[in-house]
Amino acid sequence: MTPSLVNTLLMLPALLLLAIVFAWPLLDSAWLSTQASSVLTGLSPIANHGANWQRLLGDTRFWQDAAVTLRFALVSVGLELLLGLAMALLLHRPGRGRGWLRALTLLPWALPTTVLALGWRWIYNDPYGPLNAILRAFGAAPYGFLTTPASTWLFTVLADVWKTTPFVALLLLAGLQSIPAELEESLVLEGASPGQILRRLTLPLLKPWISLALLFRLAQALGVFDLVQVLTRVGPAGSTESLALYAYLNAMRFLDFGYSATLVIATFLLLVVLTVLGWLLLRRRALEPSR
Amino acid sequence: MAGSGARRRLTPGSVLAGLLLGLVLILLPAALLARPVAAATTVRVLMPSPFVDATAELVAGFNRDHPNLKVEVARGPLDTEAMSDLAIGGLLLGDTPYDLLLMDVSWTAKYVAAGWLVPLEGLLGDDALEAMVPGARLGNAFGGHLWRMPLTGDTGLLYWRTDLMASPPRTTTELEAVARQLQAEGKVRWGYVWQGRQYEGLSCVMLELIHAFGGQWWQPGTGPAGGQTELDSPGAIAAADWLVQLVRSGVSPEAVADFAENEALQLFAAGDAAFLRNWPYAWREIEKGGGPVVGKVGVSTVVSAPGIRSGGTLGTWGLSLLAGSPHPQEAAEVIGWFTGPETQKALVLDQGYAPTWAVLYEDSELQQKHPLLAVQQQALEQGPLVRPLTPLYAQLSDLLQRQVNGLLTTEAAATAAMTRAQRQSTVLLESTAGQESA
Repeated sequence: MTPSLVNTLLMLPALLLLAIVFAWPLLDSAWLSTQASSVLTGLSPIANHGANWQRLLGDTRFWQDAAVTLRFALVSVGLELLLGLAMALLLHRPGRGRGWLRALTLLPWALPTTVLALGWRWIYNDPYGPLNAILRAFGAAPYGFLTTPASTWLFTVLADVWKTTPFVALLLLAGLQSIPAELEESLVLEGASPGQILRRLTLPLLKPWISLALLFRLAQALGVFDLVQVLTRVGPAGSTESLALYAYLNAMRFLDFGYSATLVIATFLLLVVLTVLGWLLLRRRALEPSR
Repeated sequence: MAGSGARRRLTPGSVLAGLLLGLVLILLPAALLARPVAAATTVRVLMPSPFVDATAELVAGFNRDHPNLKVEVARGPLDTEAMSDLAIGGLLLGDTPYDLLLMDVSWTAKYVAAGWLVPLEGLLGDDALEAMVPGARLGNAFGGHLWRMPLTGDTGLLYWRTDLMASPPRTTTELEAVARQLQAEGKVRWGYVWQGRQYEGLSCVMLELIHAFGGQWWQPGTGPAGGQTELDSPGAIAAADWLVQLVRSGVSPEAVADFAENEALQLFAAGDAAFLRNWPYAWREIEKGGGPVVGKVGVSTVVSAPGIRSGGTLGTWGLSLLAGSPHPQEAAEVIGWFTGPETQKALVLDQGYAPTWAVLYEDSELQQKHPLLAVQQQALEQGPLVRPLTPLYAQLSDLLQRQVNGLLTTEAAATAAMTRAQRQSTVLLESTAGQESA
């Protein structure tokens, strides 16, 4: 047995698993998206010649949900990156109790999303939640955190940022630890200010780690499901409905599997386009000569 | 490459052994999961969590009395929509492990169209519902077959404060006036709390109000969905407008837009509201809670606009037989026992559930111990409202919830929102008409 044959054989289980878990459902959904399969067909598939896709193009709810999902992902990941970087820089400084501090910051990330979403639901509760108790203590009227579309969106983003910033911080911290301390010391000796060090040394060397964090978080945020399902249940007035939830609703509540599959494939294509765009952008930046 | 040294030591034999070991590890749990055949017939029932607790003792009693027929209850989630998701998840996999499912009244048509239920008239007789209160018989049949035996006779009810008024309001106008006055006198913070979140509860509130203002949501007729919606009728628009004005004028809190049953109940039980719209279960909840309003709560049928008499939304739970049950006869026997008058009587006494059998409403022992019964009987006889009986109900309800919740949380106007809901409903019903012919 040649080494390359052994290689292939050893990779086979993993490839098989990937095929079963990713490729097959995707192909199956792609096929189902060309069929009518709902309560009106007794759940059996009947070819409907692209009617699902035609419906999708005219479905304002799909495009609205796509915008909601994208906006949620970009804003929350952006905030997480900024806060995560700040947290990582703080945790990187040597000091007493650093180990404890690091463990503590990770706590929100270690919580299951549904649990934290229930917690936030209570914190935001109008009029009995803790936040409104604080407002009342200052003599203010209770505020409906989850009552209008705008504030609900904002406080959903905040809940997400609270949970996932530690994850970004952890990744960036690992990156910071990989930067040799001598480099910073030599810059200090040459009289560089902390800001200059950050701009000229830390950030450029941290770039691959930032890309990694971005990639992980964007992929997760674009598929946001559990946080919204528990915290806002897509309300108010559907303003927090993500693409994943729309597809879920069509399959599990409406039993319209043909259209649900169409939504899944459309979301997948949208993600592929976004990923390629992001990759091209990051690659071009990486090729630029460093100043 | 770092690993190449190790790789060369691999022999074909060890690779093969590794692959085999992997296979065994995958197959072994599967083999262990295959169940042996049980001696006594076991009927498996999936129910929402509160029903499991409520019936645990009764089920234990049944199992003691029936050595050859065992009832095994599986605990579903508490929330109605989560329960539906779980049940559907199992049913979609084909081989559902359950024989019976406790179903919400709004699921019937959808489950029937999906082919998941077995008609019951052949097993329980054509007259299975005969001795029930008329209102409780609704929503169990579809397309000429009986699909479900109701276990509870829930309808929407109006809860009011006996310490703040002598008798409950009978019309929407009266309710609003009383609420405003009590608020102005500083006796309560809020006038009226109900379910305004974007979820099924809002559809229940809307169905009641549309009829209370002389309209209707659904006109049964022809077509694959079995009828048409009338959401832009004057009655439907007036209903939506009434809700919006309640919020905008401060009779209902703005937070009502994120209230489900429990949030509304909490606020009422804390003594912060004069009126509450809820189901029969709320009575026990409030009494159990021991809050400031215990002993000061009255229950009445829901209000309607002056000159109109309409009912509350029907929100019953009932048992259905799932297609693929290996022993339908035994399962039907369990349905008969579970929904029968004796079990229901015990549930009224222990849990305060609303029964479906007429004879239980005449039972003087029950009447004495459960003051809600008289009102509940009235609500069921007054003609409770059934949500549109169509397989597409979930979509129709979703559209309406979005529009009405949007009214409560944005600056939209009732006419525009209801016209939009009507247009979207029509598009849905028409597009699916094409789907069926395809």
